[in-house]
Amino acid sequence: MIEVRGITKSFGTMLALDDVSFGIGRGEVLGFLGPNGAGKSTTMKIITTFLAADSGSVKVDGIDVLEQPLAVRSRIGYLPENVPLYLDMNVHEYLSFVGRARGLSGSRLDERLDWCVEACGLVTEYKKTIGELSKGYKQRTGLAQALIHDPDILILDEPTSGLDPLQIIGIRDLIKSLAGHKTIIFSTHILQEVSPVTDRVVIINEGRIIADGNVHELAQEAMGSDRVFLGVQQDAATVESELRALNAVEEVHALPTESGCRFEVRGSFAHDLTGELAILATGRGWQLTELHPAPFSLEDTFIALTRRALAGGDQGSRGVA
Amino acid sequence: MSNTITIFRREFASYFNSPIAYIFIIAFLVLNSGLFMTSFFLGGAADLRGFFGNLPFFLIFFIPAVSMRLWAEDKRLGTFELLMTLPMRARDVMLGKYLAALAFYLVALLGTLPLPIMVSVLGNPDMGALWSGYIGAALLGALYLAVGTFTSGLMRDQISAVILGIMACFVIFLLGIGTVAATIDGWIPGFGSFLQQYLGLSAHYDMMLRGVVSLGDLTYFVGLTVVFLSLNTLWLEGRKY
Repeated sequence: MIEVRGITKSFGTMLALDDVSFGIGRGEVLGFLGPNGAGKSTTMKIITTFLAADSGSVKVDGIDVLEQPLAVRSRIGYLPENVPLYLDMNVHEYLSFVGRARGLSGSRLDERLDWCVEACGLVTEYKKTIGELSKGYKQRTGLAQALIHDPDILILDEPTSGLDPLQIIGIRDLIKSLAGHKTIIFSTHILQEVSPVTDRVVIINEGRIIADGNVHELAQEAMGSDRVFLGVQQDAATVESELRALNAVEEVHALPTESGCRFEVRGSFAHDLTGELAILATGRGWQLTELHPAPFSLEDTFIALTRRALAGGDQGSRGVA
Repeated sequence: MSNTITIFRREFASYFNSPIAYIFIIAFLVLNSGLFMTSFFLGGAADLRGFFGNLPFFLIFFIPAVSMRLWAEDKRLGTFELLMTLPMRARDVMLGKYLAALAFYLVALLGTLPLPIMVSVLGNPDMGALWSGYIGAALLGALYLAVGTFTSGLMRDQISAVILGIMACFVIFLLGIGTVAATIDGWIPGFGSFLQQYLGLSAHYDMMLRGVVSLGDLTYFVGLTVVFLSLNTLWLEGRKY
C-alpha cells in the first residue's frame, strides 16, 4: 500500500533522512519508532506530500507522491504532530470545513460527521470552540479531522503525545478498532504504546532505519538470546552446575533471593529453554518456586539496536531489515 | 472552484470570528472619513477626490494588516500543513484566502458609501468620477492585497509579514512619484521613468481619480495583482523541495 524507497532529505547542511526504505501492506498497522528528531515526522511529511524528498521515491497505492500528489492526498488521513486546529472555530464548523475541503457534502458529510464525533468521543464538545478545549479533546478533534473522509490510509504523527494515561488508552483502542480496515502508520517515541496496538515496527534513528520487522523477532535478533527466570529450593552451587551442564544454556546469573536460589538463565532461541529447565527440575525432584520466560521488552530491544547502530554503523544494523 | 469557495468561506468567516475585523473596519472608516472631512469643508468642492487621493498612502498600512494573517497565522497554528495536504491545488487554497481578504476590504470600502451620498446631497458631483474612483480604490486594494498575501507567505509570524508588506507596498507607491523617478533617472538615465510608468502606482491611479478608466490602467492593476498571486503560488509549490 505504501512503498518508501531510498528517500533522502536534508535541510540545509543537516541530513534528516538517509536512504530510508520500508513498505507497508494493505490493512497493516505499522508502529514507527525512534527518539525525538530521528526523522519520523520528516518521513511522514514526505509520504503525505507536504515535503518532497531530495532523492528516492514514495508510492502510495501505486501512485507516485510527486507525480500525482492530489490523488495521494485524497487517500490519506493525516494527523500532523502539531495538531492543525483553527482555534476560532467550534468542533462542528472545523470538521465540516475539513470534510468539505475533502470533497464531502450533503448527507454523506453529515453521516461522516456523526461517525467521527461518536468514534472520537467528541459528542459533548461538539459545539464548543476549539480554543477552549482541553489538550485531550484537541487531539481527538485532530484525529477526527484525519478520519472525516474515511481514508484507506491513516498517518498519525505522535497521536498520543501530551495525553494522560486514560486518554492514551482511548486513542489506542480507536487505532486498534480501525486496524484491519485501514492501513495505519503511527509514530511515537514512547515504546510501550506500540506493543498493545501492533507487532510490526520500523525503528529509525538519526535518519536511518535501524530495524524493520516483528517486535518479537527483533527482540530475538537484537538481544541474541532467550531469557528465563528460575527459582528453586535447593543448594545454589549444585543447581548452577546442573544448569550449566545443559546444552541449551549459555549463561547463568545468580539473583538475590530470600530462600533457596534464583537464576536468570539465558540460552539460544533454537531450544525451548523453559521446557528443558522444567524437565531438569522435575527429573532432579527440585521444588520449584519460580519458572517463567521473560521475553525482552521493546525498551531493551530499542536500546540494544540503537547502540548497535551507533557502534557498527551500517554493518549488521540492517540485520532484520 | 468549489475548493476555492470552501477555503473562502472559512477565511471570510474567520475575519468576523474575532473583534479585530470590527476594529479594522471602524478604524478604516473613522480615519479615512476624518482625513477627508477636514479638507472637504475647507475646500467646498462636491467631490471625493480628497478621499480617493488619500487611499494609496493610507492603504499601505491598512492592507498589509488585513493580509498579514493569511499564511502566517496558518503556520503558527500548524494548519498550514493541513491546507497543504488537502486534495486541492495550492492555487485554489491561495485564491480562496486572497478572495476572502479582498471581500473583507470591499466590505470596509462599502462602509464609505455615506460619503458619496452626502456629497450628492450637498452638491452636484461628477458621477463618472465617483464610479471610477471606487473602481480605482477596489483595484488598488486588490493590488496591495496581492502584495500582502505574498509577503505573509514568506514570513512565519504576522509582525514580520505586516512590516514586509508595508515596505513592499511602499516601494510600489514610491516608484510612482515624480521626484523619486527623477532621482533614479539621475543615476541611470531613463530607468526611473520606466519604473514609474510600468510599476509605479500614481500614473495609473490618478487617471481613475479624474474619472478616466483606460484599458492600460486596468491592465496595470490586474496584471501586477496576477504577478504577485502567481509568485505566491510558485512559492507554495516550491516550498516543499
